[in-house]
Amino acid sequence: MRNPLIKRLPRELKSEFPKYAVIFLFMIMVIGFVSGMSVASGSLMKCYTESFDKCNVEDGNLELAIRADESLISTLEEDDIKLYENFYIERDTKEVDSILRIYKNREEINLVSIMKGEIPSKDNEIAIDRMYADNNSIKVGDTLTVGEKEFIVSGLVAFSDYSALYRSPSDMMFDAIKFGVAVTTDEGFEALGEAGFHYNYSWFYNTSPEDDIKAKKMSEELLTSIAKKAPVTSFIPAFSNQAMQFVGDDTGKDRVMFIVFLYIVIAIVAFIMAITTSNTVAKEATVIGTLRASGYKKSEIIQHYLAIPTLVTFVSAVIGNILGYTVFKDYALGIYYTNYSLPLFDIQWNMDAFISTTIIPVILMFIINFFILKRKLSLSPLKFIRRDLKKNGKKKAIRLNKKIGFIHRFRLRIILQNMPNYITIAIGVFLANIIILLGLGFPKLLDNSSRLISESLICNYQYILKAPAETECEGAEKYCAGSLVTDYEGRKKEAVTIYGLQPGSRYIDIGGEDEICVSSAFSEKYGVGAGDTVTLKEEFGEKRYTFTVTGIIDAPVTIAMYMSCDTFCESFDYDDGYYNGYLSDNKITDIDKMLIAATITEDDMNKMSRQLTRSMGGVMDIFAVFGIIMFMLIVYLLSKIIIEKNSRSISMTKILGYSNKEISGLYIVSTSIVVVASFFITMPIVDILMRYVCVIMFSEFAGWMPYVVPFYIYPMIIGLGIAAYAVIAFMQYRKVKKVPLAEALKNVE
Amino acid sequence: MFLEISKIKKSFGEGESRTEVLKGIDIGIEKGEICVLLGPSGSGKSTLLNIIGGIDNADSGYISINGEKTADMSESALTMYRRKHLGYIFQMYNLIPNLNIRENIEVGAYLSDNPLDIDELLNTLGLYEHRYKLPNQLSGGQQQRTAIGRAIIKNPDILLCDEPTGALDYNTSKEILKLIEEVNRKYGNTVVMVTHNDAIKNLAHRVIKLRDGMIRKNYLNDTIIPASELDW
Repeated sequence: MRNPLIKRLPRELKSEFPKYAVIFLFMIMVIGFVSGMSVASGSLMKCYTESFDKCNVEDGNLELAIRADESLISTLEEDDIKLYENFYIERDTKEVDSILRIYKNREEINLVSIMKGEIPSKDNEIAIDRMYADNNSIKVGDTLTVGEKEFIVSGLVAFSDYSALYRSPSDMMFDAIKFGVAVTTDEGFEALGEAGFHYNYSWFYNTSPEDDIKAKKMSEELLTSIAKKAPVTSFIPAFSNQAMQFVGDDTGKDRVMFIVFLYIVIAIVAFIMAITTSNTVAKEATVIGTLRASGYKKSEIIQHYLAIPTLVTFVSAVIGNILGYTVFKDYALGIYYTNYSLPLFDIQWNMDAFISTTIIPVILMFIINFFILKRKLSLSPLKFIRRDLKKNGKKKAIRLNKKIGFIHRFRLRIILQNMPNYITIAIGVFLANIIILLGLGFPKLLDNSSRLISESLICNYQYILKAPAETECEGAEKYCAGSLVTDYEGRKKEAVTIYGLQPGSRYIDIGGEDEICVSSAFSEKYGVGAGDTVTLKEEFGEKRYTFTVTGIIDAPVTIAMYMSCDTFCESFDYDDGYYNGYLSDNKITDIDKMLIAATITEDDMNKMSRQLTRSMGGVMDIFAVFGIIMFMLIVYLLSKIIIEKNSRSISMTKILGYSNKEISGLYIVSTSIVVVASFFITMPIVDILMRYVCVIMFSEFAGWMPYVVPFYIYPMIIGLGIAAYAVIAFMQYRKVKKVPLAEALKNVE
Repeated sequence: MFLEISKIKKSFGEGESRTEVLKGIDIGIEKGEICVLLGPSGSGKSTLLNIIGGIDNADSGYISINGEKTADMSESALTMYRRKHLGYIFQMYNLIPNLNIRENIEVGAYLSDNPLDIDELLNTLGLYEHRYKLPNQLSGGQQQRTAIGRAIIKNPDILLCDEPTGALDYNTSKEILKLIEEVNRKYGNTVVMVTHNDAIKNLAHRVIKLRDGMIRKNYLNDTIIPASELDW
């Protein structure tokens, strides 16, 4: 015979429809969103991983200062590698403010996937990266002037070696707005001329490394060997090529983040469900006692009360997954296509995503409810029959000071009585605060970063020259520029720009000839202060340099070291009077472009905040809204339980003559106190936590972004929370009004 | 002896507030007997019933049904003991509010491998026409009849009734007593009924009077008066 208690379940669901509907919809949305993200990221990862083989992606690339002739190539290939020419030219574009890196059509290595239009077949045709095109509203058929040459955009493509558009491996963030990659015909490429030409070579190992550790070792040996044979100006093994690896790393982190987020939300909902169920158990204590006295096993009763939370989660997970595969997957794909330059890929069934978004949430819900119910139902049948549900006998009432007014004491009693509910509310507020702060604070963090960049900009233009060149430009100041990398045990190597400055420089004041300063970003990120010694090493060599820091320069986003030109030349063995660049507030126009290796402007410095704003702006809005919804859901469900649990007391106070307003002043104000206090108490904790998380997160990136969220964001979040709570309080006030006078007389035994 | 209650002692509280509610109770009840436990409030009759029912523990002594002692049983064995041998009826009906009358009785039937026929029982209980109603659509007497139905559907060896008429008016109380009498006659269950209504003793085969945790009287009625003829 089927357990007749099963028949209660649909009726229970029906009678508590608003409660379960809210939980159901909330879980569907969260699971749907996470499922969509997981499915899309899983499919993306599959396509991304397969593309390395399918598109014959290089094991690394290096750049030489000269074009290697056949004999040099042969010498280099003695290191058990095969080299392929993969030259490129970088030029400004006219129609959009950007730099385009142009390659020849690729046939052997790093193949491109056509996404729209065609691969160039005429010398005035060019195929550009799809994401760069989208970001700059360039379409197939448009004219794009690269340098001085006009091209017709014949197609939009995805580069297998540029899934994230990093211009340089030392960039803090990719920049798919102001930087793009393109292919053209051999003739079109030759027609671009020599300016901005890079002798870039891709290599393949004849014997592929088994893993990244082996690859690292092999690349180090390769670099040491090659550097002795040829003038290497850049050396990027595939495993450290951000343009190739970032998508894999970032997508992996995304998936973990979303799954952890899902589990936290499910755990909160599970606690809410458990509190709700515990409340139902308390209400139905005598029935449970009777059933237990009649011979129902504890496990049968637990199973019965576990059924609804588990069922609701399971159905939510199934529907959420269906929505994940249909509706949310498009949204997730939109996010990934906005961020990464990927070929088209099909959504694939993803067993991991199914387990993470269906099986584990159900198990999580089951386990949390099981343990809470097991504890709750461990009492003897007799205790249930007597409605004596206290686990450890009758607790003595906490003495409250009589000097506290009666109403305040009453409220305190309500808070003490409903402590588990209020603790869950406080945890909910804490989590909601994190999510809302992320939603509202992160864009401000990026804005602040842009502002700091503008404010702390050394000058409007920083030029790096290939060879010395004089200029008449007003205000242009010669300087030395170099680059070393950090050498901290256990941390990723990071490029440090070394500035050698003129005495009394108008752009950066280091205070004296012998001073060596670091940027405030360097200081903050690596905990370096005046008096400390810093050891940096060559990027493509083993030589180490140790400097004693004498001061800090206010440059909150740049990892740099500043010294005088003389100290620079002395440190790096250059002749006196050496320089390789200009700092200038005005654009230099009288130096041959062929002699300019790079120009750094405010735009370049802003690429991280610009890209993050574009990539995450929409997501952050969703975070803020989601945080508010989650907060409202938690407070609504738990405050509803408190009112229901106290309905007989509320009814009795009505009989005694208390008005609805006075009763609300007792029961709703108690919840209000907890909610408001939770906001004020958790906000500083959330701020500290976010600061800590951001420091860890930004430490992973090259460069630095100080954690500065404007103060007004915090009261804004609290204000939003209180406004959202006001809606809940109004709903609870209506609930209090509806409690009938007869309630107090019901079920009195 | 079918139901043997031997040297049962039970106390509550500790130290100075310790109260001994049962001071060594010895009772033997034959199968099929209706036994009424009488006594004033605090005499220990409900505590004794709860110990018989395995929902409370004695400090010492034992309960044995057909030679099976409850004191030696684990919690799960006690559950099985209740499942197999006992039916419980309380003063409050404790019905499941969102199950209809038939389903509430099915809740009891589920516990038995060989339950009675539900429809026949519903007729016996006079509830057949109300079988699809929810408990709150019925009177107190009808709800108590449902509770009796739930208890006896599994045809228990012993029916334990704790003040089954305590919440009912005179006429309804008589109806319920008639029903218990009829169930006992028809199905042969042993009935142990706690009451403080002295008149009810007349329908019992055995009467046990308790006071201050001790048996004051334990006798078999020479003349049994049917419930329909009881008056108080």
